[in-house]
Amino acid sequence: MSAIAIAKKDFQDAVRSRGLIVLTAIFVLFTVAGAYIGTQVSGLLGDEAGDTLDLIIGLQTPASFLVPIIALLIGYGAVAGERESGSLKFLLGLPHTRQDVVLGKVLGRTAVVAVSILIGFVAGMIAIFAFTGSFSLLEYAVFTLLTVALGFVYVCIGVGLSSMTKSTTRAAVGAFGLLALFWILWSVIAQLLLYLTSGSVFPQPPIPGWYVAFLSLPPGPAYGSALGAILDEGGLAVASTYEGQGLVEGGIPIVAEPWFGFVLLAAWAFVPLAIGLVRFDRVDL
Amino acid sequence: MTAIQLTDVTKRYGDETALSGLDLAVKEGEIYGFLGPNGAGKSTTINLLLDFVRPTSGEVRVFGHDAQEEGRAIRERTGILPEGFSLYDRLTGRKHLEFATESKGIDVDIDALFERVGLGPDAAGKKVGGYSKGMTQRLALGAAIAGEPDLLILDEPSTGLDPAGARQMREIIRAERDRGATIFFSSHILEQVDAVCDRVGILRDGELVAEDTVDGLRDATADETTLVVELDHLPEGATEHVAALEGVSNVTTQGTVATVTCRDDVKSRVIRAFEEAGATVEDFETEESSLEDLFIDYTTGATA
Repeated sequence: MSAIAIAKKDFQDAVRSRGLIVLTAIFVLFTVAGAYIGTQVSGLLGDEAGDTLDLIIGLQTPASFLVPIIALLIGYGAVAGERESGSLKFLLGLPHTRQDVVLGKVLGRTAVVAVSILIGFVAGMIAIFAFTGSFSLLEYAVFTLLTVALGFVYVCIGVGLSSMTKSTTRAAVGAFGLLALFWILWSVIAQLLLYLTSGSVFPQPPIPGWYVAFLSLPPGPAYGSALGAILDEGGLAVASTYEGQGLVEGGIPIVAEPWFGFVLLAAWAFVPLAIGLVRFDRVDL
Repeated sequence: MTAIQLTDVTKRYGDETALSGLDLAVKEGEIYGFLGPNGAGKSTTINLLLDFVRPTSGEVRVFGHDAQEEGRAIRERTGILPEGFSLYDRLTGRKHLEFATESKGIDVDIDALFERVGLGPDAAGKKVGGYSKGMTQRLALGAAIAGEPDLLILDEPSTGLDPAGARQMREIIRAERDRGATIFFSSHILEQVDAVCDRVGILRDGELVAEDTVDGLRDATADETTLVVELDHLPEGATEHVAALEGVSNVTTQGTVATVTCRDDVKSRVIRAFEEAGATVEDFETEESSLEDLFIDYTTGATA
C-alpha cells in the first residue's frame, strides 16, 4: 500500500519532466519511421503489404534500442537523485520502509516508461494503418505488452543501480556502462572466447552451443526470444540465425530457446533489483 | 514512559566519531531542546531516531520500538521536519500534503493544514519549485503535524524563517505540546530553545555535556560573571595561564580584548594573572553571565 502511494506520487512527478517529453517524441519518430520501412520491406519481399508481423519486426529494432535508453534515463536517478537532493529525507520521514521506496519507484517509473511506449506505439499503429490500410490488433497488443516488459526490466536495472549509490553520476555511468556492455562488449567477448577456443573469430560449423547461449543472454536478445516465442516467429530469436541451418553442435541450448527469453527477462529484472534493495536497506543515508 | 531513549549510543563514520556513548531520555509530553554547535552530532542523533543511519553500537528506542527493526511503527506515530531536505519541485504544495496524509493513512482537512502553518490558499496550488525556503519549511511542517502525531522531531525548525515565522513556529510547537505531543527539537540557536523548551540538553563533540531545565541552567550560571579585559597586548601563554585558574570556566580573546567567564570571587585573581603574564590591563568591565555565555562555555570546549 505504501509502495503504491509512492508510485503514484513518483509517477505524477516524473511524468512532468521535460526530458521524458523529448524522449517520447524521439520514440514516436522512430516508430513511425520503423513502420514505414517495415511496409516498404515487406512490399519488396513480395509479401502481402500489411502483414503486421513484418511490421513488428520493423518496429522491434527501434524499440530494442530506444526503450532501454528511455527506461535507464527515467530510472537511474530514481533513488540516488532523491538522496542527492534531500527529498528522500522527506519521503522516509513518512511511514514508508526503504523497500517501499525502491518498489514504489520501480512501479512509478515503469508506469512512466509505459506511457512513453504506449504513445510511441499508438503513433506506430496509426502509421501502419495509414501505410497499409490493415492491422492486426492482437499481435500488436502482444508486441506492445512485451515491449513494456522490456521497459520494466530496464527500469529495474536503472532503479537497482540507483539504489546502490548516493551519486546520480555514478548511477548514470553504471547504467550506460551496462548498455555498452550489452550492445558492444558482449559480442566482442563472445568473439574473443570463440577465438580462444576455436582459433577463429568467425563461428564455423559446428557452432558451439555455448556461443549461441552466450549471445542469447542479454536483455535485448531475451526480448527478441520472448517475442519470437509468443508470436510464434522464430526469426526474432538469436538462435534462429544458426538453428535453421542445423549447424549448432548438440542442438539449440535451452538458454537460447525462445521461451527461455522470459526467464532471462525476469532474471535481468529481479537480480539487479534485489541487489539494489539489499544494498539500500543497509546503507547510511 | 519515555518517548525517546538512547542507551550508550556510539556512531562512527569511518574514523570519525560523531557520537560517543550518548545516553539520552526524553519524557512523553515534554519539549526537549537539543542544543549544540554545528557538527556536534545533533543531526546524527536525529538521523539515528529516524533510522536514516544505524548506530555503530548502543540502542535507539522510540516509544519502546527499536529504531532499526521497527522504523515504520515509529514513523507512524512521529511527525518529522528534517534538516537539509528538499521537496518535489514539479508537484504543488497540495500534492505534497495529499501524499503525506495518504502515506500516513489519515484523512484531514488539507486547507486547514495550510492555514495552520501560515501558507495561503494560493500557495497550495503552486508548484513547490517556486517556493521560498521559508515556504518549503512551512509546508514540511504541515506534513509533519498532519494527523496529530505523538512525537514531533524537528531538526533546526527555524531554518529559512523570518522572526515572525520563527515565532509562529514556536506557537505551533507549544500548541502541539498542549494537545499532548512530545517534541524533540534541535537548534544551534539558544534563544529558540530558551523560549519554548521544558528541558535542554547540550551536545558537544558527540557527548551530552549538560542537561537540565532552562531555569536549572540559569541557576547554574547565577554566580558566574563575564569579565571583559582590555590589554595593551596579548602575551603568549596568557590565555592558557588565565584559563588554568581555579574558578575560571572560559577564556576567549579577540585582538587584545579577553573575555573571561569566571566565578565572582576570582575576578581580581584573573586581572592579576594577566599582569603576571606580562600584559598591562588598560580597562576592564564585568557583565552578568547569561545563558548564552553558558552555552558558549559548554560548546567551545574551553571549559576549565
